[in-house]
Amino acid sequence: MGLELIVLGLSHRTAPVAMRECLAVDPNEAEGFVKTLIALPGIGEATVVSTCNRVEIYAGATDRVAAFDALRTYLAGRLPADAGGVGELETHLYRRAGRAAVHHLFRVASSLDSLVVGEPQILGQVKDAYDLATRSGAAGPLLGDCFPRAFRIARRVRRDTEIARQSVSVSSVAVDLARQVFAGFEGRRVLLIGAGKMADLAGRALKAQGATVAVTNRTRARAEEFGQRLGFAVEPFEELDQAIGRADIVISSTGARQPILTQAALARIQKTRRNRSLVIVDIAVPRDVEAGASAIPGVYLWDIDDLQKEAASALSGRRQEAEKAEQIVEDEVLRYLQTQRGRGVAPTISALRSRFLSVAAAEADKALSQVPEADERTRKTITRLAESIAAKLLHNPQVVLKKEAAGDMADVLTSALAQLFDLPAVAPEPPQSSDEPSNPQAKT
Amino acid sequence: MNLSSALEIAQIGAYGLASGLYLGFHLGAGPTVARWGRWIFIIGFVIHFADIGARCFRSQHPLSSTAEATAFVAWLLAFGFLAATTRNRLPAIGAFAAPTVLVLLVLARVLPQGEASGLRGPLATTHILLSTVGEAFFALAAILATLYLIQERRLKRKDFAKMRSGAAPLETLDHLAARCVSFGFPIFTLAIVTGAVLVARLGLLHKAGNVRPEYVLAVASWLAYGGLIVARRGAGWQGRRAAWVTLAGFGGALLVLLAYFLRDLA
Repeated sequence: MGLELIVLGLSHRTAPVAMRECLAVDPNEAEGFVKTLIALPGIGEATVVSTCNRVEIYAGATDRVAAFDALRTYLAGRLPADAGGVGELETHLYRRAGRAAVHHLFRVASSLDSLVVGEPQILGQVKDAYDLATRSGAAGPLLGDCFPRAFRIARRVRRDTEIARQSVSVSSVAVDLARQVFAGFEGRRVLLIGAGKMADLAGRALKAQGATVAVTNRTRARAEEFGQRLGFAVEPFEELDQAIGRADIVISSTGARQPILTQAALARIQKTRRNRSLVIVDIAVPRDVEAGASAIPGVYLWDIDDLQKEAASALSGRRQEAEKAEQIVEDEVLRYLQTQRGRGVAPTISALRSRFLSVAAAEADKALSQVPEADERTRKTITRLAESIAAKLLHNPQVVLKKEAAGDMADVLTSALAQLFDLPAVAPEPPQSSDEPSNPQAKT
Repeated sequence: MNLSSALEIAQIGAYGLASGLYLGFHLGAGPTVARWGRWIFIIGFVIHFADIGARCFRSQHPLSSTAEATAFVAWLLAFGFLAATTRNRLPAIGAFAAPTVLVLLVLARVLPQGEASGLRGPLATTHILLSTVGEAFFALAAILATLYLIQERRLKRKDFAKMRSGAAPLETLDHLAARCVSFGFPIFTLAIVTGAVLVARLGLLHKAGNVRPEYVLAVASWLAYGGLIVARRGAGWQGRRAAWVTLAGFGGALLVLLAYFLRDLA
């Protein structure tokens, strides 16, 4: 019996973080987890996608109902005693089977089901899940077909839409804008003035891309604590001008009531830098840098309003792009199902061919038995004639069946042929759509 | 229609279509449009190359006339654009490079096919070749400088929506423009030297009235580029100022080419 893709899980849409934490699979125990899954009744292949936003089991099921039941029981068994048991779990779980499961997998890999639509990490996490299944011996033809296809679709979505091209957080917008000035951050000097949360995020992002980050703060101890925690150098606040002179990117987020960098001071500093490009991200409120500083040659100044406007516009852009991406996923699901159906008619064609040829051979033998005097040449001629008639009769049905394989008529034709010519039941069931959340709240 | 005309129409059509697609991308169409633009541009480039080969067989090689030299400049420019954007697909550059190639090619094809300003001999051939290659480098540098100025203006004005895709970082544009000038300058210097020798041999420097405006413009361009290289290396010039000088230098070089065109037309 053929396998059908099913998915059972919970995500940021259906379950609170406390529940997701309870079911999260530790990477060290993931292999054992997957091996246990394929030993459950009704399951032939399996893997798990476990991230901070979702825990989903993808499986190839021989019996959908038994598989869902076994998976739910297994997950419930992993819950701590105070987590509410299977009843509580059931309120957060969702189930998909067949077409709906394929659709879900393609959407997840394409980052359409993510908390921040278009975020890039999920594709890597789904790839890790497939690697896990392959490593554990839990991947077979079904996962081996669906997952690589999901990766291709995700790449297509990223290539053909703008879904991932715009950042939606203030810190990542700042980094993206700096990228419009500098070709890369390797060896760039970043100066953080003040030790706020957003400066921390942007500083870490830039450091991860090869920049050297230094921090300065009016309170030296605070700068030292911040720098030590994040691996940033510390610059004395009294030497701010010199520190800016050395920097390529300045991120300012102090709590000062007056600008700490005036246009005149920056113009003076910029002269000593020979007007080298200087990106200043001012995320302080009230602002740390005089607005007029953006008129200085080589200075690119963006404040919190600029960044927030850009983030908001990017978010709305992503939503629009998500519609295009959904259409791509929908088309790909259709293509996948058509391919599956195409594969489905092959056994019917083979059975039909065997049936016709065996009848032809039997009739030729019967005819030859009545002419015992027939020589070898005559026997061969009659046998070939019978086979040729069978092949000619088979030609048109084969062509039509292959042509209709990807269409809606495939099922009708295969079952009609099976009945008309008494063929064995060979055509596998096409993937049925089933979208069964355990409760109305869990419906996504 | 003979083969030559078919090749001409095909390459101009391909470059025209690629220009349209790149401009469409520049005005906000999706990245797929830019990808199509690149492929069609490559088709135009290949046909253009075949056309240059076919013309060589008919003794219309790139050094045989100003028109052929201009068509060759266009091809070199196309090559430079494709080479510069192989690693970093910067479709924003295409919106400027493709129309420039198209304009140069159309100009070359509407020009009369006569001898290049009456210049003959190996020295003249060398002079035309060097000028052609030098101009191609400067044209690419000018495109990059234009893009730099546009991109810089958008960043200063916080016009982020127009910068979202395909735009190259300022640093990359500045760096590429500087490289084009660095490559083009020694070649253009040799072109100036060979040109000066040619002019001296023709005895045109004996009277001040014989000094044509294109000689002055060529030297002015050379000085602008030379000054820019010195300023970049010595005084750390970069960015907007360097972009403007690059454009000024190319303006002079373009006027030299225009003067030759007008002389050919006359």
